[in-house]
Amino acid sequence: MGLKSSFMIAARSLLRRKTKNLSAILAVTLGVTLLVGIQITTDTLENSFLTSLLQGEGEVDFSVSNSTTTGYLTAADAETISDIVPSAVGIMPELTMEVPVMVGSQYDDSVELAGISTDYPDAFGSFYDWQTGEEMHLDALLVSNTTIILSSKQAEKLGLTEETMLPLNLTTEFTNTTGTVVEPPTLSLADWTVEESYTTVLYDLNSSSSYFSLNLEQSPLPGVVPSLVTLFKMNISMLDLSDFDYLNVTATGTSNIQVLLQFSLDDGSNFNVTNLEDASLPVDIDTLNAAFDLSPYADRTLRGDAFLVVMSADGMPASIEISEIAFETSKPVISYSSEVERTTLQVVGIFDSKHPGIGSQYSGAILRIEHVQQWLALQDREKEFDRVSSYLVALQTDHFTSEISEDYLQEQVDIVEAAIPETVDPDTGDSEKIYTVSSARLTFFSVAEIIMTLLSTMLTALGLLITITGVLLITNVQLMNVEDREFQTGVMRAVGENRRGITMSMLIENVFQGILGGIFGLIGGLGFGQTVANYLANIFGTGEFSVQPVVSQQVVILSVLIGVVLGVVTGVLPALRASRVNIVEALRGIKVTFEEKSGRNLVLLGILATAGGVFVLLINGVIDTSYEGIWLTEGWNTLDEWRNILIGSGLLFTGLGMVLSRFISRVKALNITAFAVWGAPVFLFVVAMGEWIPDISGLAPDILIIGVAEIVIGSVLLVSVNLPPLMRALRTFLVKIRGVKGVGQIAPALISSHKTRSTLTFAIFAVILTLNVTVATLVPTNLSSIIETEEDSRGVDLIVSLNMPEANITGLSYTEELYKIDSHITDVIGFKTYKSLTDYQRYLALADPYSSDFDYETDLLPLGYGVITTEQIRGNATDSFDSNWRYDFYLSSFPDAIGQPPVADVTDEQLNSMSKQAWDLFFASAYTMPAYNVSLSDLMSEDRDLNDIDFTSFSGYSGYELEDVEVLRDENGSVIENPIVFTDSFLLPLGMQVWIPMNTSESGFPAYQAFTIAGRLDSQRAGGFPLSSFNLLSGDDFNFMDALGNIYMNEYWANQTSYLAEADGETSTARAPEQYNKFLIKTTYAMDDPQIQSIAQAIEEFTNTDDEGYRSLAEDNFYVASTTILYSKIEQSMEMIQRVVSFLQIYVTFGLVIGAVGMTVISVRNVSERKREIGMMRAIGFPRTQVMLSVLLELVVLGIIGLAIGVVNGVLISVGFANMQGATLVIPWNDIFVYLGFITAIAIAAGAVPGWFASRIPPAEALRYVG
Amino acid sequence: MVITDMKEEYGIIEDREPILIISGLHKRYSEGKSNEVHAIRGLDLTVRKGDMMAIMGPSGCGKTTLLNMIGHLDRRSEGKIIIDNIDTSRLSDGKMTSFRRDKIGFIFQLFNLFPFLSAVENVETPLLLKGIKAGVAREQAKMLLRELGMGDRLYHLPSELSGGQQQRVAVARALITDPAIILGDEPTGDLDSTTSTDVMKLFRRINQINQQTLVLVTHNRWIAEQCDYIVHMTDGKISHFEQGPFNKEENAK
Repeated sequence: MGLKSSFMIAARSLLRRKTKNLSAILAVTLGVTLLVGIQITTDTLENSFLTSLLQGEGEVDFSVSNSTTTGYLTAADAETISDIVPSAVGIMPELTMEVPVMVGSQYDDSVELAGISTDYPDAFGSFYDWQTGEEMHLDALLVSNTTIILSSKQAEKLGLTEETMLPLNLTTEFTNTTGTVVEPPTLSLADWTVEESYTTVLYDLNSSSSYFSLNLEQSPLPGVVPSLVTLFKMNISMLDLSDFDYLNVTATGTSNIQVLLQFSLDDGSNFNVTNLEDASLPVDIDTLNAAFDLSPYADRTLRGDAFLVVMSADGMPASIEISEIAFETSKPVISYSSEVERTTLQVVGIFDSKHPGIGSQYSGAILRIEHVQQWLALQDREKEFDRVSSYLVALQTDHFTSEISEDYLQEQVDIVEAAIPETVDPDTGDSEKIYTVSSARLTFFSVAEIIMTLLSTMLTALGLLITITGVLLITNVQLMNVEDREFQTGVMRAVGENRRGITMSMLIENVFQGILGGIFGLIGGLGFGQTVANYLANIFGTGEFSVQPVVSQQVVILSVLIGVVLGVVTGVLPALRASRVNIVEALRGIKVTFEEKSGRNLVLLGILATAGGVFVLLINGVIDTSYEGIWLTEGWNTLDEWRNILIGSGLLFTGLGMVLSRFISRVKALNITAFAVWGAPVFLFVVAMGEWIPDISGLAPDILIIGVAEIVIGSVLLVSVNLPPLMRALRTFLVKIRGVKGVGQIAPALISSHKTRSTLTFAIFAVILTLNVTVATLVPTNLSSIIETEEDSRGVDLIVSLNMPEANITGLSYTEELYKIDSHITDVIGFKTYKSLTDYQRYLALADPYSSDFDYETDLLPLGYGVITTEQIRGNATDSFDSNWRYDFYLSSFPDAIGQPPVADVTDEQLNSMSKQAWDLFFASAYTMPAYNVSLSDLMSEDRDLNDIDFTSFSGYSGYELEDVEVLRDENGSVIENPIVFTDSFLLPLGMQVWIPMNTSESGFPAYQAFTIAGRLDSQRAGGFPLSSFNLLSGDDFNFMDALGNIYMNEYWANQTSYLAEADGETSTARAPEQYNKFLIKTTYAMDDPQIQSIAQAIEEFTNTDDEGYRSLAEDNFYVASTTILYSKIEQSMEMIQRVVSFLQIYVTFGLVIGAVGMTVISVRNVSERKREIGMMRAIGFPRTQVMLSVLLELVVLGIIGLAIGVVNGVLISVGFANMQGATLVIPWNDIFVYLGFITAIAIAAGAVPGWFASRIPPAEALRYVG
Repeated sequence: MVITDMKEEYGIIEDREPILIISGLHKRYSEGKSNEVHAIRGLDLTVRKGDMMAIMGPSGCGKTTLLNMIGHLDRRSEGKIIIDNIDTSRLSDGKMTSFRRDKIGFIFQLFNLFPFLSAVENVETPLLLKGIKAGVAREQAKMLLRELGMGDRLYHLPSELSGGQQQRVAVARALITDPAIILGDEPTGDLDSTTSTDVMKLFRRINQINQQTLVLVTHNRWIAEQCDYIVHMTDGKISHFEQGPFNKEENAK
């Protein structure tokens, strides 16, 4: 019989066996849905990630902005840019400034006011109203310099809702600079002193009458040569000559008087003002009176001594009267003083900042560019009205749906960059571009690439694990096909069909099912992709416009192909097996069993696998000597070593099992393999991760995947091998219970008799639930560990931040007021913090600002500063041994004198005691610590992997230890030691040398003091936690500047600064000793007590109500308190993890659906193929209920086995993670019960209908049924 | 009445209780449809306790259908069946199932043992369904199997047993509940002649020792002749009635 007959048989079996055929198609459909869906999900996720990164860019491709030192762009530059980039579809000017704003009691300290032109190019899109979705016309809205439109993002931040009526008032502050003309300095004439040694005359100095004139009459000394000289000397303070154009000397005198005025300059040279210059000319006092041009000395500073020499030209008595020596300027010297003025702006509209286009570009407020120019001009009188901070350029429209080519963008940016003229810095001689070109889009392309590689690996890996469930399902159904058909195959063989024919006809069936399933699966996958895209849009909060499912053609074709191939391949093995069927046995209905001992081939394969395993194990220590061998204790303490251990032991024991199965029973051999394969990763997670592996920062996804895969495979195999005894136990249990004795006799026996099928079914659930339980366990475990350490360490409950330092009024203390608010408040700890928003002279310097290498563009970091006083931490305690210590303020890194904690577990008590000692050093201002050769660039440079950053605690860079790093030395070779500061910034490594601007000198330059970073606040425990900048990362309004963190100084150094103390006297930024702005509050309530919420409310009401409470006491209605409840902050920081979890949830949902459908398929097939057995059951007296129960029980048991494996594995894996973080494991029983309920529900739903039908079949008919 | 008729017609001495009484039995397949098949057309039959009866007839005459009616595996179209003084026409499906479990034992041509259960498990299952303790059921099943000469095959799966052995297990399963009547549908149809003889000897033994009522459907004359009575069927009706050559009552006379 040939191909034709194969086709005929295939066609008939396809037509006649509808249920079975449909279930096979369904299985392939699901498998392909899974493949396509996972691919689309992964691609969409990548895209939405990129979109969310780039959303703030709107349609902008790049921008040309003012470089900070030189020149600024003007309206005319639009033409220039358009000439350089003729392909640009839109160029618009923008002028931005940052201001604090307040609406009602809501305050935001930095909101961007962006001035744009109302007729911006169409290429940038439009503004849309956030309520109506209608396009907004700026011309009609922005009528004056006090009308603005607000972004919906900012509106939400300020607590506005769609119900808020517009227009509404918004209070802001503008810096108003007023200038007063300064009189140019004159040299005080009384300060001249006569140098007697050089003076050869009798002189009569008459200067007492006035400080403004110098009267001198000279007559010869008796008997001395008639060269009459009087020399005056004067010490002159520093004077920047660039401010002055000329020097004016006003003098009258006799005609024979000669005058020489000599000034010293900072470079050692000098200049003279004299009437002696030209000896040929007659001496003329008026020459002196001519204005002396200072322009050649514009770069110089006057300093040191000045000399005034007065001589008689002819030795005769002479006299002179100098009335003034003055520095003059042609334009008046104006001294500016700035004052903050409050202004009310009117919000006339709110635009949707999630709508792609120009709206998404702006997160603050929009004004007309002219109006921003007016506001900025107030702040800086020197600058003209015609200025623009940057030009935004769009090279194409609609970036949200079509991505711009990276190469093209780069090319255009390069063209513009090249066209920008350079200017030479007169000080350094470096040339620099007068404007900068920047393209966030371009930067994000590369950033996204790095992150996506990481994310992609994870997603692909997870997707792969889930896809396995699809493969399991298809294989399962195919296997059933064959088992099902052994009888038929026997008949066909008996009537003369050859093996090839049988294989052929089955393959034809499979291909048909594969193609049909592939097509349906594609449709399903696309549908799923769409759903996921919508879901992602919600997660990223970018709005549905910006997240579209990404369906790449290749992926779809590939997935469908894989589906078909999978259908066929999983069919081939069973088909081959079918063709080998023993005709007689098949006809007699004897199920083929594969329990015989292994053949020689398998043993050979086993030997190969064993050898491979040994080889991989030997890589550690023998082949690659950078790892220690497994025979050493050190060979087990890094994750890279474990990678090989896992792979090696997996291979080794699989091979051993294969070999052993030739000699001992297969069950025993497989048990050994299964236990070893499962045990190795379990050992890694449970034992090694907790105790042996000190550093888990290198936990790459591949180790995790290998571990999880081995755990799943091992556990499934283990259960599968031991299914018969397990089922016997179940039977023994069930037959004891009345009413289900019959069920107990049938269902467990059925499960263990179809071992492969049963295994595949529970394996689906085992895979899915292992992942899900792991994930579900991680979140509460993390949360509980944070809460636990917080509670253990006597943390604060509430943080209150004032928008500006509390009022400096005698008898009024905000701290005291807070105590009055609620009697449950036990401790209020006030802090002074300061953050320089735009004043880069207050930024932290990472390199020596006095050195010539210093580059203010790369070496300044906008960190905040804070002062921590001994009273805040120690209270009445004098040192760390004093039990009256007030606040357990934990550190995670410590000064040299204390040393770093050993990496292994440190108890909270030890940490606390170390922290206290560190604080003692901190408060001892005499303590200094060497600076180490570490820098920020260690963290940022390319040879450092992202893996080196310890993201798990965000307590900083964990990849190095100070022992390995050299101490910094000065030119003389002695170790550089600095006073210490602590930080909560995750960027600054321990031991780094930093410079803090203390004060601003009269000449306008900050005076820097060097410090060593000696400690890091523990971001997990009390103290550090509430202040930690890390927690801002998870908040909704992520602010990079805030996230950078703070530097904390002790009182001594804080008092040297002008922004935390009154070092320069009372200036606008100076702070009185107890003028705090941040308050940590402890209460008698438990951390998660809702009462804390009402305290927080009371505090806000007290502070934020106009003309009442604190505002009335301080006589200032601009005070705003914002409260943060620590517990909610913890919850917030969990949000990020939860977002990741929700990605996983997508996959897991997928898996559960597969599992559910798989169960249905299996149940339907079970019933249809077991009709005869059901007939027998009915014949010997099984009631209908028990028939149905047997069908249900089989599914429920398989589901529960899957669940049990999942829970056990999930918990074991989580134990590893919990150990790593030193957290107590929290098992999410609720979730597990939900899964249990879900599986039972699926099993019942999947089994009920077929089961009901089964129980309804008349027994006589059922008994007639043959295969 | 039927009984009287039979007595008169065949001269059967009525000295034992009738255990099965069938009167006016009809079975139509696909009732009301154009392809209706009238398989049993008004059949009357009485079987007394301890009878061993064979039903013979050509293929398609309705033998198996009749057996299924008696065993309540299929619903009849009309007529009355009384087994062990119970009129089954009013029984609900649940009652019918327990009735089947308690009163009827089946033996099939293809044995119809559960392939995934061992011999002893197959046999004990009806007892478990009755709610008997698992341990007790197991002991009874073992005892019975030993009695039937299967003591060394207790834990074998059906696929590991020969046809004759399988049929012994099937017999044991039918016997274990001490049913009022055992129905055999071509019980030796799948067996060779030696095994068939063995199985028939077994049936005879059960019949004689336990006073077990047996109704066997067969088309094998030799098998039929092992029974007390042979009922011949054609076209869904009993055509004639014959005494077996080894009728115990005949022999007893």
